[in-house]
Amino acid sequence: MPDYAPVDLTGTDLVEFELNGRTVKAPAGTMLVDACAANGVEVPIFCYEPRLGDPLGACRQCLVSVEGIPGLTTACSTPVAAEMMVDTVSEEVREAQDGILELLLENHPLDCPVCDKGGECPLQDRTFRFGPGESRMVEPKRHFPKPLKLSPQIALDRERCISCYRCVRFSQDVSEDGNLTMSERGGRSEITTFTGDSYNGRFTGNVIDLCPVGALTSIPYRFTSRPWDIQNTPSVCASCSVGCNTELTLREGEIKRVQGRDEPNWQVEEGWLCNVGRWGYGADQAPQRLRQPILRDGGETRECSLEEAVAAAGLVLAHEAHTTVLLGGDVTVEEAFIAKELAAGPLPDAQVGSAGVVGAALGPLRALPAAQLGDIDGADLVVVVGGDPANQHPVAELRLRKARRAGARIVLVGPRAQELESLGESIRTAPGNLAEGLTSAVAQIATVKRPLVVWDELDLDAEPDAAVVLATALGDNAAASQLELTSEVNGAGLRALGVAPHSRLVDQDLGGVLAVRANPGAGPGGDAWNRALDSGGPIVVIASHHSELTERATVVIPCSSHFEHEGVLVTAGQRAQRLRPGAAGPEQSAPGWEILIALSHRLGVALEYRSPRSAFAAATASAPALSGLDYDTLGDLGAEIATSPASDVNGAGAPRAHDGEGLPLVTGRSVFGGPEAHLSEGLVVTATGEEAVLHPAEAARLNVADANLITLNSPNGECTVRLRLDPGAPEGAVFAVRGVPGGTVESLLAPDRAPVNVTVNTA
Amino acid sequence: MSVQNTLKGFRVTFRHLLKRPETIGYPEKKTPVFPRFRGRHRLWSFDNGLEKCVGCSLCVAACPADCIRVVAEENTPDNRVSAGERYARIYEINMSRCIFCGYCEIACPFDAITLEHEYELSEYDRGALVYTKDMLLAEHPKKVPLREDGSAASG
Repeated sequence: MPDYAPVDLTGTDLVEFELNGRTVKAPAGTMLVDACAANGVEVPIFCYEPRLGDPLGACRQCLVSVEGIPGLTTACSTPVAAEMMVDTVSEEVREAQDGILELLLENHPLDCPVCDKGGECPLQDRTFRFGPGESRMVEPKRHFPKPLKLSPQIALDRERCISCYRCVRFSQDVSEDGNLTMSERGGRSEITTFTGDSYNGRFTGNVIDLCPVGALTSIPYRFTSRPWDIQNTPSVCASCSVGCNTELTLREGEIKRVQGRDEPNWQVEEGWLCNVGRWGYGADQAPQRLRQPILRDGGETRECSLEEAVAAAGLVLAHEAHTTVLLGGDVTVEEAFIAKELAAGPLPDAQVGSAGVVGAALGPLRALPAAQLGDIDGADLVVVVGGDPANQHPVAELRLRKARRAGARIVLVGPRAQELESLGESIRTAPGNLAEGLTSAVAQIATVKRPLVVWDELDLDAEPDAAVVLATALGDNAAASQLELTSEVNGAGLRALGVAPHSRLVDQDLGGVLAVRANPGAGPGGDAWNRALDSGGPIVVIASHHSELTERATVVIPCSSHFEHEGVLVTAGQRAQRLRPGAAGPEQSAPGWEILIALSHRLGVALEYRSPRSAFAAATASAPALSGLDYDTLGDLGAEIATSPASDVNGAGAPRAHDGEGLPLVTGRSVFGGPEAHLSEGLVVTATGEEAVLHPAEAARLNVADANLITLNSPNGECTVRLRLDPGAPEGAVFAVRGVPGGTVESLLAPDRAPVNVTVNTA
Repeated sequence: MSVQNTLKGFRVTFRHLLKRPETIGYPEKKTPVFPRFRGRHRLWSFDNGLEKCVGCSLCVAACPADCIRVVAEENTPDNRVSAGERYARIYEINMSRCIFCGYCEIACPFDAITLEHEYELSEYDRGALVYTKDMLLAEHPKKVPLREDGSAASG
């Protein structure tokens, strides 16, 4: 966790002040702790945390003397002013800091050897650097039963709590769920939820990172390793397209923990992670993980070695007259590039398509200046068009809440009821009416200084006319920028490489199929895809987990998960970021790029990339949007790729027509019900399921009842799902959650995600 | 002259023939070690059967030879192994790596590990030199006598 806020000492608004007898500079209004840290003086802190909003001054550890202020003052809540005279090392200050530390330790148990925080504990570190050395306390310490389960993932040890209020402030001021509070007083103070229930939410895990002692610890990580047993690797979360920067903790070849980085990426996630990003790594160790290559020969299924599987894959694909390469939405830039090269040369007459490439008509909007998530902070108007950031791009929710707190106006326009509606003005639009619903937002964009539009790729893909309206409005305001929340984590990267959508391939004879992290049968138009796969040739699957496709494939080759290989993902805000391998993965698996290169050797035209680095270099040379990037320029924090030039706006004059009869279907995905949430041992208790949501009046008209199973029928397929009635949901549409493993909602959609109507019946 | 010199030389030899031998008949007889001799490790339990080790891994951090491996787990009411919240599910010392420096003993906050006086650790198989927790909790089969304070270096 960042202890102190970053301070820019190169600006023009610096003031001079005296720190321990020397004259130093800092921007006016910076808090003293930050100004001191920027000038090389450490003031001990516990409750101060730059990302938690206004300082609280709860722990009193940062007492310093400032001339003119009687007594000592807390450096965390005192802004720097010109000609201030600050002393952080005088005898008086040292005595006060020692005294506070002695008091904090009065009730803190000395169970560091059994505490998960031991070795990476701010209280340990600061006691070592600043403390009095020994305690005069002989009285018994307070005792509570421990540990309590604050939530299914968080253990609470009340004895260790030093009442710094960081977790409470996170809950009240950052995630704004308001669940956590401090009850009782004095030595009996304890962290609890208001209701006494479990602390459930989307971001609860962040309190573990925030806790400066071992009071809040992660249950999946509990007692698995100590700080000196582990290696930490900076990487990127691939659970959604926000692309939060993470730190992977590796011990004995396995990922044991994912946490926010000590030096967060202020442009992306600021160190916050959602619970799926934090605990989703458990999916790698799930029984559904592919651990052994599989060959299916006639009716016979057998396991084989990696070499044998790649040889077999080369053999079956080379015998086909033509082939199809299907890429998932989360293949890395390197994997996609090598797959394209394979299709261009070694594979016989191949076509490439990906489920991650959506919104062909959204070019004009994408060509506008792209913002980063961090740019939300400076905006005075944030328009959220479509989507459901709270569930689909969770950490974006925290940035939106922060912008609202900083005074930005938030306008949400979209077809579905969502939890962020309370943040500002909310305009619900009927499916097909998004462009109309944007009228008020467009008028506001013209009048403010720095508007920013956060838009959902899939919702605007369904109504490209709204994208034209937005692009026009944003084009008129020179300071306006846009931030695309893509549906797939590497959607922007696949687009930059010129990969086409896979939907155009579904009606064709597929021939031999090479699927890389793809499972089209579980995606939109699943039935049509399954028919196409049935009539096609042999299927070779490169995947990290079992799926419907691996059950029918001729050759299954296990590949690394995103915790185990190197590569680049282009996430929201067109930000290229590097994945780094934390764990090694199962013995009989290999990184996807390596398997594809090996396959090229088997196909007789060897591709000469020896590492992801060289594959990425070749990819940047071939794709104009990626030019100028390499692994070194991306570094730990990533870099923006070039904005693609505006493409033709043809056919964007109207929303796409709805196919079928009945009510329009609006689907959404929840990261908290996705594969990571269901496969990871730590998350499965809180994973959400598939459901359909209707307004009660609509349900009465359709004669279906709450909590019953209902059948939805569209021209593309049929799906049976549990119904929930919600008075908050708009009338005139059916809302359904897709993306749940084993779910069938996506089969209702057309392969190209064209909007559909569905009929509703009791199952 | 030469006979005299030869006898002179043999005088030393014959004198020593009459003395008690300096060598000890190892392995039938063993040299006692000093009280602070650092030999084979031992893990200790309390009298009630609970292990003293809580699996804190401080010995791992202190070990300069990187020969200790600890994998901890949580004690449950059904399976209470140690006195603390956690216990060492796996505690292994690779004796072929250990340099017998005794840092693990110094690092241990619960006096759970000590270095004892046994030094007869040779094996026919490298694998057998990785001592598991069960081996370390038990007494070494080959005892070595402890030297009493003030006794002579040879015995």
